Amino acid sequence: MAYSDKVVDHYNNPRNVGSFAKDTPGVGTGLVGAPECGDVMKLQIKVNLDTGVIEDAKFKTFGCGSAIASSSLATEWLKGKTVDEAAKIKNTDIVNELKLPPVKIHCSVLAEDAIKAALADYREKSGSADAPASSK
Amino acid sequence: MKGRGLDHFEVFGLPRRLGIDTAELQRKFYELSRRGHPDFHQGASPERQAEILEASARLNAAYRALRDPLARIEYLVRLEEGRDTREGATVKPKAPPELLEEMFEIQEALQEAKSAGQTGGLEAGAKETLATQRDRLRERYEQEEARLRGRLSQAWDSAGPADRAGALTAFKESLAVRAYLRTVIDDIDEALGGSPEGYVSHRRH
Repeated sequence: MAYSDKVVDHYNNPRNVGSFAKDTPGVGTGLVGAPECGDVMKLQIKVNLDTGVIEDAKFKTFGCGSAIASSSLATEWLKGKTVDEAAKIKNTDIVNELKLPPVKIHCSVLAEDAIKAALADYREKSGSADAPASSK
Repeated sequence: MKGRGLDHFEVFGLPRRLGIDTAELQRKFYELSRRGHPDFHQGASPERQAEILEASARLNAAYRALRDPLARIEYLVRLEEGRDTREGATVKPKAPPELLEEMFEIQEALQEAKSAGQTGGLEAGAKETLATQRDRLRERYEQEEARLRGRLSQAWDSAGPADRAGALTAFKESLAVRAYLRTVIDDIDEALGGSPEGYVSHRRH
C-alpha cells in the first residue's frame, strides 16, 4: 500500500515523541487502542493553567505508519490551541491532511479519540484542582 | 437465483448458532461440493455455469468461515453487526483500560530493550525476560480463545432475543483483548527473532 508523502514524512520524522509526567499540573493524558489491530496510542497535552492554551503536546504510538502519522500530526495541531479549540479537531481533518485511504481511517479516529481522552483527563484534573480547597 | 444472498450459516442450512458439529459440517461440505462441482456441469448453459461457479465459491467461503470455531465467532459478529448498522446500533468494543495500560507498558519496555541492544540485537538478559513475558502472554491469549470457544459461545447459543446484544458485546470485548495480546506477542516475537529497528515494528502496514 502506498502512503502519502505526508504520512511518510511524519513516520520518518515523528514530531513530539515522548511523554510528560502524568501528575504534572496542566497535563492531560489520553491512552486509547484500536481493537481491530491492537495498536496503542498515548497522547498528552500540557496546558498553561493561566491562559488555558496548550503549550506542548507529546505522543507515543505503537502501531502502523498511519497511526503514528495521525498522532504526530495531532500533536502539531494541538500546540497553541485553547482546550476548547482543540476539542474541535475531527478525524476527517486528519484524513484530509494525510490523505489516508479508507482502510486507514480508523487510525485517524484513534487519534481523535486520544485527543478527546487527553482533554477529558485534563478537564477532570483541573476541575478538581480549581475546586474550592475546603479539604486542604 | 437460488442461494444468492444467503449467509454462511444458511448455505449449510444451519441456524445462527456457534455449536456446530465440525465433522458433520465437513460431511455436508463434501456432499454439497460434489453436487455443485463445476466439472459435472460442463454441458450446462453459460449462465447456469456461472451460477454454479458462484455457488461453489460461496460454499467454499462459507466452509472456511464456519469450520474454525474462532473464525465462526468473528463471522457471526460481522454478520450481526451488519444488521445492527442498518438499525443504527453499533457499539464500539471497549477494552479494559488496565489492559491498554499494560500493553502500552510492554511496548515501551520492548522499545527500550531494542534501543539498548542496538548493534548486536537484544542483550541476553533482555531476551530472556522478553521470552518469559511472551510465554505468559501466550497463555493468556490461549485462555481468551478458550473463553470465546467455550463459555461465550454457549452464552450466545442459549441467549434469548433479549440477551443477544449482551452476548455479542462480550464477544467483541473478548476479541479485542485477543487482538491486543496478539499484537504484543507478535511484536515481542519479532524483536526476539529479528533485527532491532526503529521505535516501531514495520510488520504492520
